[in-house]
Amino acid sequence: MSSTIPAAIGGGLDVVDVKGNSMTLSMGPQHPSTHGVLQVVIEVSGEIVEKAEMEIGYLHTGIEKSAENLFWTQAGTVIERMDYLNPLGNALCYVLAVEKLLGITDDIPVRAQQIRVLLSELSRIASHCVWLGTGGIDLGAISTFFYTFDIREDILDLIEVSGGARMHPNYFRIGGLNGDIPSGFLAKLDALIVKFPGRMRELRALLQNNPILRDRMIDVGIISAEDAVKWGLTGPSLRGSGIAYDVRKAFPYSGYEKYAFDVPVRDDGDAYARFLVRLDEMDEAMRIISQVRKELDTPGPIMVANPKIAQPPKETIALSMEALIHHFKIVSESFRVPPGDVYQAIESPRGELAYYVVSNGNNRPYRVRTRPPSMYNLQAMKLLAPGNLIADIVVMIGSLDPVFGEVDR
Amino acid sequence: MPSSQVPSIAGTALDPTAVRPDIADAEIVRVAPSELRGKLESLRAEGFTQLLDIGGVDYLDRDPRFDVVYHLLALPLKPATVAEVAVPRRIRVLCGVEGEAPSVPSASDLWPCADWAEREIFDLYGITFAGHPDLRRIQMPYDWEGYPLRKDYPLRGPAREATPRPAFALKSNVPAGTPPSGKVAAALQKRIALARGQAIGDGTGEKS
Repeated sequence: MSSTIPAAIGGGLDVVDVKGNSMTLSMGPQHPSTHGVLQVVIEVSGEIVEKAEMEIGYLHTGIEKSAENLFWTQAGTVIERMDYLNPLGNALCYVLAVEKLLGITDDIPVRAQQIRVLLSELSRIASHCVWLGTGGIDLGAISTFFYTFDIREDILDLIEVSGGARMHPNYFRIGGLNGDIPSGFLAKLDALIVKFPGRMRELRALLQNNPILRDRMIDVGIISAEDAVKWGLTGPSLRGSGIAYDVRKAFPYSGYEKYAFDVPVRDDGDAYARFLVRLDEMDEAMRIISQVRKELDTPGPIMVANPKIAQPPKETIALSMEALIHHFKIVSESFRVPPGDVYQAIESPRGELAYYVVSNGNNRPYRVRTRPPSMYNLQAMKLLAPGNLIADIVVMIGSLDPVFGEVDR
Repeated sequence: MPSSQVPSIAGTALDPTAVRPDIADAEIVRVAPSELRGKLESLRAEGFTQLLDIGGVDYLDRDPRFDVVYHLLALPLKPATVAEVAVPRRIRVLCGVEGEAPSVPSASDLWPCADWAEREIFDLYGITFAGHPDLRRIQMPYDWEGYPLRKDYPLRGPAREATPRPAFALKSNVPAGTPPSGKVAAALQKRIALARGQAIGDGTGEKS
């Protein structure tokens, strides 16, 4: 029997194999339901998965190594490319870590912090839109994708207007922002704030009580609160199991403590609970956005006043020798960061994203270690998969919302 | 910058045992590899239920050479509200490891999520974790040689590091008086000529 099936070799693992009643199959890495490049080597008996071993690393690009060889000011550009559904979140976390090492956390202008919070929350909605759209496709609900990508498109437009690029704008800089939001941004934002609740009502009407979705998600991939903590789950995956740990509440950053918002929690711990938590989170994110919007009419500085860290405004370079020198120094050799190490965490759409940054006093980061929430969330599949149907594996992966740019880095 | 010139900490102010009291991001403990397992066990019993992350750092010229860095969080093991979670304790455990055959005990039986984190450190730093059930490469291909995140590992990899990068057209390696060549240069010459109101050449020196 086994001789008729070619044994493909995947780095020492036989990915196609037959032993008695069980068969070893390879799901992915080139498969849309694996949300990127995840290979799940599953041992199945009929339709039941007996064991699932995940192979990651197909998207490993050595971003941490690259960052060590770039200036402090340049490293943000590669770091943004880790979690490509939430690039601004990555940038924010890195920038906050470096600001802590520089000791300028308290000097960041209020307006810069407000815009950072605003764009982070917009990114959260955009990221959840991709999760919801692709998760819908996993379950056969193709039209969800178009509904969610309509919202996402509006948000990417806003990110493009503010930072100059749709996905990786490198807009958050150490010390503040690259520039103020341009005229026209707030009008577009207002339009989105008006449009969003209706769109969410549509999505909820379409999905929340949809019998097919409920059948596919309820009681699938149950994680108890204890397991969720032990397996290192954070973010919506942890809150779907009942533990209301949110970095924005526990360790506030960028002024999150000023805004009123709730942390959605469900106790059931199944895929449907995580689905509801993320839907509620989209509403809560918009609640924060509405509060930030009211503060944005007041103009103000968007960068620290320290010329050793902040690039001088372009127009001053032609007029002031000092400005020209500072500009030249920052661009050609960045700045030096006092030696030390720092662990900075933020609440990314996937959970606790953190950077452990070490400086040796040089103009390049000595080490940038990522705490990738997707990687820890995805690892829980080892706990979830055994004893379930192959079709449910797809739902479970979707409910953990991994992003492979971040898992593999 | 060639990665052979990766900045080392030799002679800098970075003291590996120093604690930055001005950055209150976590409680900080430093232990020797022999004490590590006991310390992690006691922290686990103390209520640090979640292992946030294990990271590695290579301090090339330091003795001990590597740091294995654990971040732990004290979360309740049952459903809890925001008020009940409050501000959970966060602790950083640093463990210096020798450069020769670096090894520390595994924590994967205390926190199951240590599995992939330890595999990643093994993969990228070559630090082994004694007692790990399945220690093999995770990010790099299985047949990869070397440990890419070590500071003495070249940025472009050992194979490509030997190949010189293409030289830029610097003043020093272009002989003086060499006319510009190529389509872009020709187009530029045309535009310059147009601007000067002269006869237009096609860049090859012949009249068109």
